Formats: sequence, structure tokens, C-alpha cells
Amino acid sequence: MALTQKQSKTLVRGVGGVILFILIVWTLAPLYWMLVTSLKNNTEIYSADSTFWPVNPTLDNYRTLFQKTNFLIYFRNSLIVAAVTTFFSLILSALGAYALTRLRFPGRKFFARALVYTYLMPSSLLFIPLLIIIRGIGLQNSLEGLVFAYLGFTVPFCTWLLMGYFMSIPIELEESAMIDGCSRLGVLFRIVLPLTVPALAVVAFFSFTLSWNEFIYASVLVADTDVRTIPTGIPNFIVEDVFFWGPMMASTLISSLPPLAVYFVFQRFLITGLTLGAVKG
Amino acid sequence: MTDAANPLAPRGPNKQPTLWEYISNDVRTLAFLFLLPTVLVLTIVVLYPFFYALVLSFQDKSPGVPARFIGLKNYVELLSDNDFQEIFYNTVWYTAVAVSIKFIIGLTSAMVLNQKRRFNNVYRTILFVPWAVPTVIASLIWLWVYNEFNGLLNLVLVDLGFLEYGTAWLAEPKLAMWSVIAVVVWNGTPFYTMHFLAGLQSIPKELYEAAEIDGAGELHKFWHITIPSMAPVFTITVMLSTVFTSTSIVVVNILTNGAPANVTQILPNESFSITIEAGRMGLGSAINMVLFPFLVVFIILLTRRLLSKEAN
Repeated sequence: MALTQKQSKTLVRGVGGVILFILIVWTLAPLYWMLVTSLKNNTEIYSADSTFWPVNPTLDNYRTLFQKTNFLIYFRNSLIVAAVTTFFSLILSALGAYALTRLRFPGRKFFARALVYTYLMPSSLLFIPLLIIIRGIGLQNSLEGLVFAYLGFTVPFCTWLLMGYFMSIPIELEESAMIDGCSRLGVLFRIVLPLTVPALAVVAFFSFTLSWNEFIYASVLVADTDVRTIPTGIPNFIVEDVFFWGPMMASTLISSLPPLAVYFVFQRFLITGLTLGAVKG
Repeated sequence: MTDAANPLAPRGPNKQPTLWEYISNDVRTLAFLFLLPTVLVLTIVVLYPFFYALVLSFQDKSPGVPARFIGLKNYVELLSDNDFQEIFYNTVWYTAVAVSIKFIIGLTSAMVLNQKRRFNNVYRTILFVPWAVPTVIASLIWLWVYNEFNGLLNLVLVDLGFLEYGTAWLAEPKLAMWSVIAVVVWNGTPFYTMHFLAGLQSIPKELYEAAEIDGAGELHKFWHITIPSMAPVFTITVMLSTVFTSTSIVVVNILTNGAPANVTQILPNESFSITIEAGRMGLGSAINMVLFPFLVVFIILLTRRLLSKEAN
């Protein structure tokens, strides 16, 4: 079958449109089901002929979630852990990345390599000894312990991303500032960091979502309800109650909102950032 | 040229620099101070635990009980265990299939998004959404989608007449692993799409235009321009994803925790169960260490790739 170039282009575009439609349905269907379920009452959720939309929309599941479960505690803990981890990751990785890209010192290459190794070290391998170590320094069952453990994967990754950005800033800017009498620290805080605001935004985004999502460390390092985070808190609803799918879907919906909100806000930076560095996922 | 004649030394030749001025301008001291916190943190929570895990794998250790050195006994126990062999095989199969499917769907998505189309930004935003949904959350949503009696999947299939009754997607031995993989794919494909889209956009347009003048069709352009230009992006994405996919326990842990009868069990989750539920930390570490040599190959290759990419 011989198609002209124009025909085959139209064909490819048409097929592309169909594929795009299928991909969007596949992506949104589970999320739609979550939303719909969270708005149904129990009778509708568990009836033999469930509908694809809520017949009598209700916010009861959200009420149950907030009044009868520990969801708010988990949510608060997750926010604290993610925010504090992000704060420290930003500071550590900005300092580290600057040293590794701009300061000449022996062992620089070695540090850069070690950083990639630590970034690729899976947490499923580290959680057993980490449990013993965190107990040893008395941080078990605490949000501080979680933050400390999370820095182990956010810092290498964020430093790595920032190194890419720092290298894209022309060094002449820094040199001329130093000739004008600016110190190294002055250069970092007055020139390099203001220029890398988009990069810092991306880095903040990653450390926030990585900490918000973390599951393995959270399940071994923390046991008490009052220090649990969302990923280990809400799966427990399954154990606690029989008719839990309504509140459960309400909780998953609310728990997706912070990372989604950050994603929508930072989207613009993300796309440019992606061409420069790797992404953890 | 003397200091006095140097216009760049504004403080005059006799003024001693303060300690602060000295530190903030000495490159080596500064580098040391800047890296110190990172090195400290990573030593305590990554480096030391790694070697500790290695040591643990030769020990018999339960929580609260002193460790006892037992040599290779943990490894011997694992290698002679039929369940372990099955789980090892599962892990390889699960990783290979999940990575392949993510690759195919990711490349397809990226190519579709790279076509000129109205509202492309909207479509891109939508297709990236699962990536921003935490894996625990995604697993819980899908657990409900798969529900035998009231889940979306069974409702749709029964309504359309494909099924008479709902299927227990996660309990049926033949379907369980595929159901787990579907969730991994749903959550993980955007990672590929992003990388591939960035890769596609960096291919020079002139290459395609030149090929079109020579009369090349769409397929020809795909095989002779797109694929070769994307090769480096493919390698990095697949290697990164292989490391993360093979070591992530969340989806398996929440959907099935290995059931039915170890059909969906993978090594990292087996290690998790053995350590947490049975309290056998030594054996748990040994399980991870068996997977580690395979990861090391990827990690070393990847490090080399990433560093050479950075050097360019």
C-alpha cells in the first residue's frame, strides 16, 4: 500500500489522537473512581448494581474521616516531615553542589561519584540496619528520626540536580563579583542562589514529594499512632473497619492534593529542569 | 606588582584578614565546611547502614537480642529453599515485564504528546498526573478498582458483557502478578514519558526535514532518526527505572503482600516480611544481598553514564 507523505502524516496524526484518548482514559479512570466513591454513601458503594456516578452525592465520608479516624494527625505529621526534610535538603544540597561544581579541592571527582552511588542505593536494602542505628541514637518512633533518614535519599538527589544547574551559570559572573570584593559566601548567596531559583523550586518539589510518599522507612522507624505519617497510617483503615472504602477514598483524595498542588505550581519549572538532570521516580 | 599598587586590595597591605574573611575565601576550607554536613548525614544513614547490612547477612539477629555470627548459613538457607527460588524468579520477571511495558507506553505517550495538537499542554499535564500521586495512594486506589464485588474494573467488564461475574483480580494466581504490574505501570509510566518527551524535543528538526526531502515516510523516520537519537535517553531511563522498580515494595506490599501463595512475592518485600513479621534481621539482609550484585552492575554503569553526561 503506497501512501503519499501527506497521507501517512495524516494517518499518524489520527492514530495519535486515538491513542491519546485511550491514554487519558487509562490515566484518569482510577482517579475518577476515587472521587466518585468518596462522594457516595455506603448503600451506593456496596450495592449489587453500583453506578458510575454518585446518585445522592454526600460528604459523609469526609466527615467520618475527620471525626472518627486519626487522619488529621497523619496529615499533620506528613506535612511536618516533608517540610522539614525539604528545608534541610535545600541547605545541604545547595552548599554541597556549590562545593562540587565551583571549588577546586582534592577528591572532588570522588565525592561526585560517591554521591551518585548513595543516590542509587535502594532503601529496601538499608532499612534493616537503619532501624538498629536510629534506635541506637534514640530517634525511633519520632518525626526527627524520619527526617534524618529521609535526608539519606533527598540530599544526594537534590545535590545532583543542583550541580547540573550550577554548571549552567557562567562562571564569569562569579569571577567579576569576586574581583569587586565579594567573598565566596557572598557569591553563593547573592549571585548563584538568586539565579537558580527555578532549580531550587524543582529541588524543593522533589524532596517534598519523595518525603511525602516514603513508605519503607516510615513503616519500620515509627510505630505509634501519634507519629505515623499518611503512607503508613491510612492503609490501616483496612484493618480497622469493614465498610471503609468511602472514607478511604476520601483520605486518598486529600492525601494526593499536596503533591498534586505542588506539581501544578512547579510544572513550568519541571519541564525545563528535566532536560538538565535526571528524575527519581 | 606590589600589594599597595594593586587596586583590587582595598583594605591596604598591613591589614590582617580576620578568621572569618580567611575561611570565606580559602577554597579548601570552604569546600570542607560545605560538604561536611552532607558527608556526615550520608555516612550515618546510607554508607554505614550499607556495610552494616552486609555484616548482618552473616549474622543471626533478632530485635533486642545480640547478634551471633553464623557465617554463610543465611545464604545456604535461602539457596536451598524452593520458595526463595520462586521469589527470585518472580522478581526478575516482574521487573523485566514492568520495565518493558512502561517503556512502550512511555515512548508512545511521548511521541503522541510531541505531535502538534491543540491543548497539548493540558494533555501533557493529565498524562503526568499519576507520577505526582504517591505510590501508596495509587496502590490503595487500585485495590478498590480491583475489588471483586464493587470495583470499577469488574463493573465495567460486567456492564459491557465481557464477564458474567466479577473476577478476584488479586487472588487469581494467573492474574495476580499482571494486576500488580498494571499498577506499577500506571504509577511509573510518566517517569518514562517525561524523559522521552525531553529527549524527543532535543532532536534537531532539520534531521526530519532532510529525510522528508529525500522522500522518507513516517516509519522510516522513526527507525532511522528517532530511535538512534534517543538511544542514550533510553539507556539511562531504563537503567534508573530497573533499579527503582526491582527494589520498590509498596505496590506488592499493599495490593497482595505476596499472595496468593507467593505468586506475587518479590525479593525486597520478602525481606521486609521476614525482617518485620518474623524478626529475622540477618536473613532479611541476606535476601537483599542476593539481589544486590545484579543492582551493582546497573549502578556502576549508570554512575558512569550520568557522570559522563554531566561532564559534557
